[in-house]
Amino acid sequence: MSALAHYLEDEGIPTVAISLIRPQTENTEPPRALWVPFELGRPFGPPSNSAFQKRVILAALQLLERKSGPVIIEDFPDDDPREQPDPAWHPPQVRAAAADGSAEAIAAQLEREIQLLRGAHDRWLAQHGRTTVGLSELSMVDCGRYVADWVRGIAPSSLRDGFSPILMLRFAVDDLKAYYLEASAAGAAKPSSRQLGDWFWNGTAAGAAIIALRAMGLSSEDERLKTVLGNFMVPGVRVAMMS
Amino acid sequence: MTRLTSLPPAQAKRLAEVECPDFETRPWVTGPSLSQRRVAIVSSAGLVVRGENPFRGRDPDYRAIPADTRPDELLISHISINFDRTGFQEDWNVVFPLDRLNELAAGGVIGSVAKTHYSFMGAIDPTQAEVHARELAGRLKSDHVDAVLLSPV
Repeated sequence: MSALAHYLEDEGIPTVAISLIRPQTENTEPPRALWVPFELGRPFGPPSNSAFQKRVILAALQLLERKSGPVIIEDFPDDDPREQPDPAWHPPQVRAAAADGSAEAIAAQLEREIQLLRGAHDRWLAQHGRTTVGLSELSMVDCGRYVADWVRGIAPSSLRDGFSPILMLRFAVDDLKAYYLEASAAGAAKPSSRQLGDWFWNGTAAGAAIIALRAMGLSSEDERLKTVLGNFMVPGVRVAMMS
Repeated sequence: MTRLTSLPPAQAKRLAEVECPDFETRPWVTGPSLSQRRVAIVSSAGLVVRGENPFRGRDPDYRAIPADTRPDELLISHISINFDRTGFQEDWNVVFPLDRLNELAAGGVIGSVAKTHYSFMGAIDPTQAEVHARELAGRLKSDHVDAVLLSPV
């Protein structure tokens, strides 16, 4: 972000950057930056809190009116209230008691889970009027089957022109995560990202499937498979918890 | 929160030690008061309008997001999995605060909102994006933008 600020400002466009990683901003020294103490992925703070978001935006934009600089790096003072867990949230119950941990059991349960979550995801759609599922452009049934087949070791061909099988898998996994996390957040409760992540990675066959894909990649002799499945499936924070 | 002490040590170290460009100049451009500025969002979230070309690998270029894009048309195609996406799922303003900018413009706090916004994808070598950023500056100028709100994920 700070490098983009430099290039745009150098071309005559005034900029102000939101900073999530303060040391990176300090190293690059953009003209103006507002560091925010929010988790990665939430540069403007809590969802569904327009007043808070507006305070962040104004704190940033007002740096444009400063007369002296560069470099300006200010800190936003308040934490994101939505980082706190909501005890009223209860995750969907999806896990099959009989799953034996084999690749086939995980893959089969993943495909069943997608059906089990359909009602919850429909409620999410009715509540929010949108979904962030769509990168793969597959239906969720096809998306689940594609990921499940990878878990089974089938390595299916891509289902979209211009997408390699591994890119198709990455986008299918992104869609799978979006579908589950949206379905699990349907309702009045306001779960934290940590609550949602704990459920997804510890309580679903989809989480188990993606963890299995990572293990498959790490043991592969195909360097591209090793890189993509090893690094772009399971978040680093979850990998750290597993070790 | 993204205080580095709250992250796993290996991730915190990697983020803190990311190699950053060492610029020899410190550009600084001033402008009118906020109430007269035209504001554009430039994100590095790998945002793409549904159905258009998603970011792949380490693409250093950018995607355009027209101001009439609806929330159900915007997706994240960022390669990184190490940031929260549930906030964006619930409310796109967490990443792309177009509704908030429109409200600020309607209230006269800012002058106006650009007709087009843009997204790069972070997790790239920023020097690879330089040619695209400088070309983007021309597009922003043609839209009379004189304030860019840069937002990472």
